[in-house]
Amino acid sequence: MSRLLTTTPGETAASGRVEAPGTLTEVSALLGGTTGTLLVRGAATKLDWAGRVTDPDLVVDTAALQGMLTHNPADMTASVRAGTPLQVLQETLAEEGQWLALDPPSASVGATVGGLLAAGDSGPSRLRYGGLRDLVLGVTLVLADGTLARAGSHVIKNVAGYDLSKLVHGSLGSLAVIAEVIVRLHPRPPASATAVGPADAAQATAATLALAASPLEPTAVEWVSGDGTETGQLHVRVDGTTASTEAASRGVADLLAGLGIPTEVLSEPAADNAWKAHATTVLGTDDETVVRVAGLPSDLDALARHVSEAAAQAGVGARVISSAALGMHTVRLDGGSAQAHAHVLTGLRTYARARDATVLLRQRPAALDDLVDALGPPPSSIELLRRVKAQFDPTGRFAPGRFRPWY
Amino acid sequence: MAVTHTGPDQHLGSITDSLAERLGHRLAPDQIITDLTRLRTYECDAITGYRVVPSLVALPESTDEVAAVVAACADAGVPFVARGAGTGLSGGALPVADGVVISLARMRRVLGIDLPNQRMTVEPGVTNADVSRAVAAHDLYYAPDPSSQTVCTIGGNIAENSGGAHCLKYGFTTNHVYAMTLVLPDASVVTVGGAGLDTVGPDLRGAVIGSEGTLAIATSITVRLLRKPETVRTLVADFDTAEAAGEAVSGIIAAGIIPAAVEMLDALAIEACEAAVHAGYSLDTAAALVVELDGPEAECDEGFSRVKEICTSAGTTNIRVAADAGERMLIWQGRKAAFAAMGRISPDYFVQDGVIPRTRLGEALAEMQVMADEAGLRVANVFHAGDGNLHPLVLYNAAVDGESERGEKLSTAIAELCVAMGGSITGEHGVGTDKACSMPKMFAEDDLAVMKRLRSAFDPAGICNPGKVFPTPRLCGERPGPYRVHPLEAAGLIERM
Repeated sequence: MSRLLTTTPGETAASGRVEAPGTLTEVSALLGGTTGTLLVRGAATKLDWAGRVTDPDLVVDTAALQGMLTHNPADMTASVRAGTPLQVLQETLAEEGQWLALDPPSASVGATVGGLLAAGDSGPSRLRYGGLRDLVLGVTLVLADGTLARAGSHVIKNVAGYDLSKLVHGSLGSLAVIAEVIVRLHPRPPASATAVGPADAAQATAATLALAASPLEPTAVEWVSGDGTETGQLHVRVDGTTASTEAASRGVADLLAGLGIPTEVLSEPAADNAWKAHATTVLGTDDETVVRVAGLPSDLDALARHVSEAAAQAGVGARVISSAALGMHTVRLDGGSAQAHAHVLTGLRTYARARDATVLLRQRPAALDDLVDALGPPPSSIELLRRVKAQFDPTGRFAPGRFRPWY
Repeated sequence: MAVTHTGPDQHLGSITDSLAERLGHRLAPDQIITDLTRLRTYECDAITGYRVVPSLVALPESTDEVAAVVAACADAGVPFVARGAGTGLSGGALPVADGVVISLARMRRVLGIDLPNQRMTVEPGVTNADVSRAVAAHDLYYAPDPSSQTVCTIGGNIAENSGGAHCLKYGFTTNHVYAMTLVLPDASVVTVGGAGLDTVGPDLRGAVIGSEGTLAIATSITVRLLRKPETVRTLVADFDTAEAAGEAVSGIIAAGIIPAAVEMLDALAIEACEAAVHAGYSLDTAAALVVELDGPEAECDEGFSRVKEICTSAGTTNIRVAADAGERMLIWQGRKAAFAAMGRISPDYFVQDGVIPRTRLGEALAEMQVMADEAGLRVANVFHAGDGNLHPLVLYNAAVDGESERGEKLSTAIAELCVAMGGSITGEHGVGTDKACSMPKMFAEDDLAVMKRLRSAFDPAGICNPGKVFPTPRLCGERPGPYRVHPLEAAGLIERM
């Protein structure tokens, strides 16, 4: 496991005491028996998402909350402790030919199931399978006062009670500890193929919309902008049986050829390696500013042009890695001054707001914090978000600063 | 199901009058109903055993008008209940006595269609089927397909997180909504969700969908459209026992196939459906499976051959493959008519909606049979076999003394059996009024208390569809049953109008 545990349980870190409760009861007792602010931490792969949490009195580490609680292969459901790394879960599920149909880039650096739900992270296959919010069937939460609450159930169809598993999706640890998660599983497709070809943003946008209008049902459509003057690259993945994958990848290649995009069709293991490399590209490196824009698929070309022009003007390098068919675009800024990053980020927020798109800051150099706020302009639901926070965490224990300046 | 109240209280007449007067400044006269005869039209949803006459019905035609009605209610402290087509099967749109019903039936406009991005923005009163109809020419459709889709509305689907026969593969309403404009119970108007899949912060969109109208009123909804699959293949396979049919379903899932739909009907259900629709189901079989696969042609055809093999090795006695779209539609008409068709074989029935882990199907059916025998009643079964969502129909005759009480009891016991088997009391109909008293069987006190915190964040005054989802002493203290004399009525303290 590649997670960085900077302190061992019980020790005092610079940021406060760290505890790693091993059971639901221990989590409940820990929270019920303490006061002060809390940072819930899984694999610590997304601690920089949104606002930075400032000086928590206690870090609740989920490292000891590991393992699968139930797996019903025939019903295609499983329940897991939230601290279980996704990769570990996938290895166990693979024994039954199944998987949690989620391929977030951060899985490769140890991201946990609970952390992924809290962050609302997803990967290229969200196009076919949905994100974790679509795959989660239930959660067990521990509130700031130690109260245990379950929502959902172990069956894939259930509408009894409020869907608190949706509420914590994207909450970034600000409402409760996610202690256990019940998920829907999928069969692992026996075959997969990926068509790869050069495409600029305009071609990629046209290809994305043409694929969506076709009956081809790709699993993923991703575009990566080129470095500097290079053309970008389009990846289109299809999954299924050997025969259906062959037919589908031929269909994809024909469609793309019609749009002037020549492709090479990769099968395993070349395709798998290409996707691993792609995941690394999405993650970015430590000194970069990385943001995620969620908007319309048709906006890819305009967004890519906006980013490249703004970055060129500001004197920073920029790459766009887009889950094109999902309208989810990762923008990476590197080089240049913090001021330049701040300028591009602010411009991007204005750009996105005009299109009803959202921007989540995932990573930035520390110097950026003095120049620009972590969240940008609040949504119309801001008062409601504040009331939800006040109801679930009335004393403001969880993740102070995560949604600053909103609340 | 007790008629908990039958009309506006006399002493609250003045509030209704002042509310009507205030709304009169904002709405046209034909948008306000206070006449008792017309109010009665709104006294129940499709669970007709629960009836409450509201004191006023408002028919707003825009978000602003909905907000104006909600503001008037909030100021007067009067509860309100949003209502779509009234097809709900859990009493979720049951009016509150002395409260207001906000009917969204007049908000039927399509506000925008974005073909390249495959989405449509509609007002809540647009019917589910009309969404698909509006884009059918472009090979797009809206995936959730509840049986009532020709009449039920998108707003109602949001409230109930409606699924349908195809949700095993395609999911529920929550998986197909990008954004909503909401009127909150304090009359403020907010947007949740956005152009993209994710917003920053907790997923309020997901929290509202399926909240049964207790958190907010959606006045504009942007839904996801899907490209129609290239190929659809449908078959009906007959089996001598429900267990054998269940085995076939397990085999299909184990083979890694995710069918678009798998439905099972038992002999009683087939008898009713055939009487109503003549869809060509075999009348001499114990169970029939409807299996539908869709997707790219190669994938679909390969899977369909496997499904036929699996049905054969599970002992199917007959396989009928739909030859064309017409025959497929007829098969589905037969299936979707199941509830309505029960009238052909029984004067009255209760519909249940429990869910079990699919693998416990045989066990659940056997247990239900024992329970039905003990109650001396028949239970017909129509269910979404792929996802374990049972729809046992408890047949009874209200004219026979004691049968409705026995039916109701059996129906509740079946729902609670589902929870005991690790499932849910409701897969798609919602908790509403009907199953609120069973919630403590599925959730602990703390679970419900935490859910109520969400409620308090949206609706601190508790005026937005109160009395639904969560058990209340008023509702659960009284023994429910169809048209039973209210204890207060029996005591001569209230009168039925």
